[in-house]
Amino acid sequence: MNKLLFFAGLKEIINADYLEMDLTGKTVREAKAELLATYSDLPLNSVMTAINEEFALDDDIIEKNDIIAFIPPVSGG
Amino acid sequence: MEANRYSRQTLFPQIGALGQAKIQKKHVLIIGAGALGSGSAEMLVRAGVGKLTIIDRDYVELSNLQRQQLYTEEDANEKVPKAIAAEKRLKAINTEAVITPIVAEATKELVEEYLEAADLLIDATDNFETRMLLNDLALFHQTPWIYGACVGSSGMCFTIIPEETPCLHCLLHTLPVQGMTCDTVGIIAPAVQMVVSHQVTEALKILVEDRQALRGSLFHFDLWTNEYSNMKVSRAKNPSCQTCGTNRIYPFLRGENRTKTAVLCGRDTVQIRPPKQKKLSLNKLAASLKQNGYHVKANPFLLSVEMDGNRIVLFEDGRALVHNTKDTVFARSLYDKLLG
Repeated sequence: MNKLLFFAGLKEIINADYLEMDLTGKTVREAKAELLATYSDLPLNSVMTAINEEFALDDDIIEKNDIIAFIPPVSGG
Repeated sequence: MEANRYSRQTLFPQIGALGQAKIQKKHVLIIGAGALGSGSAEMLVRAGVGKLTIIDRDYVELSNLQRQQLYTEEDANEKVPKAIAAEKRLKAINTEAVITPIVAEATKELVEEYLEAADLLIDATDNFETRMLLNDLALFHQTPWIYGACVGSSGMCFTIIPEETPCLHCLLHTLPVQGMTCDTVGIIAPAVQMVVSHQVTEALKILVEDRQALRGSLFHFDLWTNEYSNMKVSRAKNPSCQTCGTNRIYPFLRGENRTKTAVLCGRDTVQIRPPKQKKLSLNKLAASLKQNGYHVKANPFLLSVEMDGNRIVLFEDGRALVHNTKDTVFARSLYDKLLG
């Protein structure tokens, strides 16, 4: 099982503090596609993804118990 | 007075008298004099920075005063340009600092003119197009720069050291289409101060030449949900990055990648056209604007909103018409407030 964290405004879109999904063995790209099937409003092509607090690339493979975070770049100033 | 002025800062061993002397010889360029720019400028001027140049295109409004610490009701009533109001307050705080205020849009040509003489660039802008331009310029001139941004109760900060860390273009492969902005989802002042604290601390480390102490990671937080996180980013450094990789083309320095503005003949209207067609979610934007008390009308093709007495009509492809003005800089500033 994997825990998915959502930051800065993404929580409102999924309407939850976090999600739990089994994404083990999938790439970050596949994980994003799966999320978009349920939450089509998530702007996942412009968010940064972290696995266990480290920047992840789209081809990275998610392992058991990895914590995935989706971090939208913040623009205000 | 002069001997004691910085005593509490020189007592801090990582700065010391040597570090203080370095700070006083350095020149910092801040782009943006809104909430983040006000905060950084004040802290740096109090810390004794030698020269500070601050560029901003906007003027002070009443809705700025809740978080933009350099400004007063009088500045808002008189619609004083932010850079000018900032200079007045900063000079009152520290007469030793050489402050250069510039009331203009941060274009490639303008930023480049000041960047060459600067030791450090601090981002206090409100949109990603300018940030990507700053990123290209900073890499081209090999100047460190500090990205900072905030919205709602959250924010982030990342220090870019050319040839060492990933650059902003490595982290964001494409320009985000539609960001949340302070004007659409609001902002609380503590989120501003949190980002300012991180940006200025990183700035002080660079100014005293203690690069070992730099954070190296991307810090992000949400004060309301009590979340604080550091994302390690060394893996993001992309050898084929167009800005900092082996074949650099600095794409954001090219005219075709910049948003165009034009005054429409015979109409009191400015047209804004982004370099690439966007696909905006107008319904979502309309809902969040309505929630924040704006007068909005929307259909699937366009959204019309009243902002500061101007009507803005925004199309799904990102094009916009800003009515009741011929001022392209002002129109662009409203556009960025809407889309980030």
